[in-house]
Amino acid sequence: MDPLALGAIVAVLTILTLFSGVSVAVGLLIVSGGFLLVFDGMRSLELLPEIFFGKLDSFALLSIPMFIIMGSSIASTRAGADLYEALERWLTRVPGGLVISNLGACALFAAMSGSSPATCAAIGKMGIPEMRKRGYPDGVAAGSIAAGGTLGILIPPSVTMIVYGIATETSIGRLFLAGVMPGLMLVVLFMVWSLYSTWKFGNKELLATGSYSWRERFEILPRVVPFLAIIAGVLYAMYGGVATPSETAAVGALLCLLVAMIIYRLWHPKALWVVLRDSTRESVMILFIIAAAGVFSYMLSSLFITQSIAEWIGTLEVNRWVLMIAVNIFLLIAGFFLPPVAVILMSAPILLPIITSAGFDPIWFAVVLTINMEIGLISPPVGLNLYVINGIAPDISLKTILLGSLPYVACMVIAIVLLCLFPSIATWLPDMVMGARI
Amino acid sequence: EELRLSHQWSNKDIRHQVAQMVADEVKAANVDLSIKIFGSKSLFKPREQYRPVSRGQLDMTLVPLSYAGGQQPSYNLTLMPGLVKNHDHAARLSRSLFMKEIEKKMAEDDVMVLVHGYLAGGFVGKDRCITKPADVKGLQMRAAGKSFEQMLAGAGASIASMASSEIYNAMQTGVLNGANTSSSSFVSYRIYEQAKCYTPAAEVALWFMYQPLLMNKTTFEDLDSDQQAALLAASEKAQDFYLLEAKKQDAVSAEVFREAGVEVVEMTPEDFTEWRELAKGTSYKKFAEDVPGGQALLDLALAVE
Amino acid sequence: MTGLNRQTIGSQGIQHKFIYIVSWLSTLSGWLAALMIVSAVGITCQMIYVRAVLNLSTIWQTEAVVYLMISATLMGLSYVQRLRGHVNVDLIPILLSVRMRKYLYFFTLLLSIMIVLIMVVYAFEHWHLAYERNWRSDSVWGVRLWIPYLALPVGFFLLFLQLFADFLAVVVGEDTPFGLEDK
Ligand code: NA
Ligand code: NA
Repeated sequence: MDPLALGAIVAVLTILTLFSGVSVAVGLLIVSGGFLLVFDGMRSLELLPEIFFGKLDSFALLSIPMFIIMGSSIASTRAGADLYEALERWLTRVPGGLVISNLGACALFAAMSGSSPATCAAIGKMGIPEMRKRGYPDGVAAGSIAAGGTLGILIPPSVTMIVYGIATETSIGRLFLAGVMPGLMLVVLFMVWSLYSTWKFGNKELLATGSYSWRERFEILPRVVPFLAIIAGVLYAMYGGVATPSETAAVGALLCLLVAMIIYRLWHPKALWVVLRDSTRESVMILFIIAAAGVFSYMLSSLFITQSIAEWIGTLEVNRWVLMIAVNIFLLIAGFFLPPVAVILMSAPILLPIITSAGFDPIWFAVVLTINMEIGLISPPVGLNLYVINGIAPDISLKTILLGSLPYVACMVIAIVLLCLFPSIATWLPDMVMGARI
Repeated sequence: EELRLSHQWSNKDIRHQVAQMVADEVKAANVDLSIKIFGSKSLFKPREQYRPVSRGQLDMTLVPLSYAGGQQPSYNLTLMPGLVKNHDHAARLSRSLFMKEIEKKMAEDDVMVLVHGYLAGGFVGKDRCITKPADVKGLQMRAAGKSFEQMLAGAGASIASMASSEIYNAMQTGVLNGANTSSSSFVSYRIYEQAKCYTPAAEVALWFMYQPLLMNKTTFEDLDSDQQAALLAASEKAQDFYLLEAKKQDAVSAEVFREAGVEVVEMTPEDFTEWRELAKGTSYKKFAEDVPGGQALLDLALAVE
Repeated sequence: MTGLNRQTIGSQGIQHKFIYIVSWLSTLSGWLAALMIVSAVGITCQMIYVRAVLNLSTIWQTEAVVYLMISATLMGLSYVQRLRGHVNVDLIPILLSVRMRKYLYFFTLLLSIMIVLIMVVYAFEHWHLAYERNWRSDSVWGVRLWIPYLALPVGFFLLFLQLFADFLAVVVGEDTPFGLEDK
């Protein structure tokens, strides 16, 4: 059979399987096993466990559970609340200061956590009730945290950047740096929208209340210190010659666990187990998808589908920007339904050769791809962050959360457009720190 | 009939060219046989290729044999410091009694060799040149292959194990002070941007790695005699090409480093002897201890002039 | 929470007992997985210390932590399944009637169990080969590979048990297909 036609059949059956309610990882295994059985014969199935194991056999992947532990250990303390409260005490004079504080706290927290749901939960637990109490519209309260949480995978460290780095053999250190400025740009865009809609739809009387003395402002600063110390420690380990980027994650995880236990008194075995359980759950979920997506890409390659698609697209004579728009639409749609790591692992081997041959920078593309994945995190049907918010604030309807998040999706689209117009937003920092590439 | 060949290299690498040459020649022979190449790790990860070949799930692979050293410990002799002096010596080794013994081990796993070939490599230093054992004392080194790790540890270096893709970053941040790997890896990972000094393979070299084109034996025997003949003829032609190109690689890598402003130095025969004496007391000794019949095999290899 | 329900009614009937025991096993292996991840963190930090501060060789750490992470993933599979932590997309089930949804659930579960069993069988074979032939990793450390490979058959077998327990839970009416509420 023609590999391209076969590819189309695989695509349709994969979509059907993944939408059938079976877990994403198992679904990928089912599809891979089925096609290998039919086209490569019974013996090809013998290899599945070896391939599964081999896809996980990478030191860089180890940083995923570790960056998740960083986030979830700190998220289980009141550090997130301290963080936005400190920002809030300094920003009360600014109208809508609370939402700005929350978004700022999300960005800072994202610098410690590799995953988005953890960022969302850490800041949202205190941030959302507080914002609603103080007259912010429900949509802004929920939407800003949902969107702010997505920064977890753009601002380093980032689980998706690690996976992209492994799949495409690009430097993870460079990828991390590339996410910094676009992350800050997104924060600013989010803030602009939040301020506008708070000013337009918020409860003006409630919004005006509350002010802090200078004493209160300085009093809270020490509580932010452990936070900054962790970030500084991780940055020093990563760029200071102590450890490789993948090893740094362990330093971060250890620092966060220690800070949570010593400074935030998280020493009770039960509380510690909750942290470990949550990190184990998220890590295993992600790593299972990574291994299964690896088996899936083995199947695609074995049936010569990957190679044929890349070849076919190579023969198409399209404008590179038309190509980029098509790639973005594809990623956006895939991101609606699938968790980020699955999208990256399944599409990177096919997309990357196309992207580079069209003259786009793989580091820059990683940022564009990540923002697409962020959109997926706050859009149905699989918007992990939406469900986190729903868990934190069950009395806000999913519809309100969703509508509140939509404008932030628009901000992300604007960010992608800006990145296309000014690619150096992503590439300037890594080139500065690590030297230009050839 | 279609055979599947897997390797880990890009389509510019000479090892891909060797595979491609065999595929092209076989196709031109018109014996109803074609070879489909899955390059750049697109099918299997580098270290996962030997097992499927030995079990007939994959037909052919071009792979460093020492990757399978955990399954057949004698393969570790195909990446042993100082065992090969230069490319011509390597070619004689490929035709020797020693290689016959290694091929017997392969036959136990239902694997056979189509194309023999060795590639060489050298050392880079972040701050100083590495030519003799004394140069590595106190350095954090990354070596390709466990017998090299044993030898370097014997010279007083500390060993950091990491993937060759991490060498660049580790040297940049100072985690590593030096590394040892193949000429082509040094170039493809752009290590010249981070090194002060390069010791390429030249008149003599320490690091030689045996990277043959392997095939499942049963699959080969199941082909008809015309197909077998075509495959063998193609392999013979590819083997000559492999040797010729392998020699060029080292000079090319030295040129790349020189152009990047890196100091390029050569290892003298005296340095080589010094390393080899060190290896005898470390990696050779360990190998002979660990592998039943290892000493005899080692002697066979050392007997090749 | 379905997990709690199960434990309180664990004494009724063979199916409930099975569900209870499996959920207990899954929790146990989840603990093991968490422990492995924590040890990987510790060992990696130890490695950085040995290399950066003591300037000594690090021989076994890289391999050890990678194998710990892989084993943690495999041992965690069933636990995360028990917590319903594996992301899924229930777009089609939501659109279906309760009756059709049940059929679809049994069908997909059957496929899931089949692929997981295939993994168990060949993983066992792979493990057995490594054990019998005494394969080692090709590093200086040279760890016997059957040790890390053991997590493959065991992890997938526990996942199989948990999937089967989930199936029983729906049969005895303790859980609904896909955990969705009846319309
Ligand atoms: Na982050
Ligand atoms: Na989504």
